[in-house]
Amino acid sequence: MPEIMSDTQLQGYTDEQKYEVFNKEFMPHIDSMYNFAFRLTMDEDDANDLVQDTYLKAFRFISSFEQGTNAKAWLFRILKNSFINDYRKKSKEPAKVDYQDVETTYNSDEASETEHTTDLRFETVQDMIGDEVASALNSLPVDFRTVIILCDIEGFTYEEMAKILDIPIGTVRSRLHRARNLLKDKLKEYAASMGYNKNDD
Amino acid sequence: MKEHCEHQADCLKRIQSILDGGASEAEKDHFRQNMDACKPCIDMYNLEKCIKEALQGKVEKKCCPEKIAAAIRSGIAK
Repeated sequence: MPEIMSDTQLQGYTDEQKYEVFNKEFMPHIDSMYNFAFRLTMDEDDANDLVQDTYLKAFRFISSFEQGTNAKAWLFRILKNSFINDYRKKSKEPAKVDYQDVETTYNSDEASETEHTTDLRFETVQDMIGDEVASALNSLPVDFRTVIILCDIEGFTYEEMAKILDIPIGTVRSRLHRARNLLKDKLKEYAASMGYNKNDD
Repeated sequence: MKEHCEHQADCLKRIQSILDGGASEAEKDHFRQNMDACKPCIDMYNLEKCIKEALQGKVEKKCCPEKIAAAIRSGIAK
């Protein structure tokens, strides 16, 4: 498992090698990075700034990156940290109003252990278009949104997510579980409001 | 075929681990042995798989504007 910007030995890159690593290993992930930044900030200008800041930071700390290890996870971790430190306070997050309720309902350990059932049918989800699924995703509090983006959209493993988010794997699993329960509730609400379930009963 | 699952919460976690590729061999074995016999688990599996596929395939993936990539390149060239 590659280390991501931790206590790894500093690499003695020449200036030429730095540019080579940057262009070969970092730049190919720029669309994924932008998509992640946009889904976190929900704002194009903030996403532009966040991606730019992250890449400049990555270049500044490139000696901490070992060539051939997991560049995408390494970059995502920097972006996530930049978001928390610099952007989170000012990001426009529509779910903020509901966050306290969500925390109370979903963020306790007990909540994750209780049985969660939904009568949402897979056929209903199949009928939904991308914008509707995206709206449900975007309505989740950012910590829950983040794990779903990393796992389901970007395809990171639990181990990689644990490194990116600085949390234990068990917390990754339970946060994902809670996030998905919340997403299903949102999809169900959305489906009902759009009349998707009208023939189900 | 079971119409009710008494372990639904645990089964849901196991199903999610399997779909995420993070399940242990024991979890996969348990799933293979029991899945076909439990209707709620089949429904949960189908729903979880469908949502995951919708997130992967239907949600628009935003691409980085070229001007940002250009700004990054010029930022490191200084």
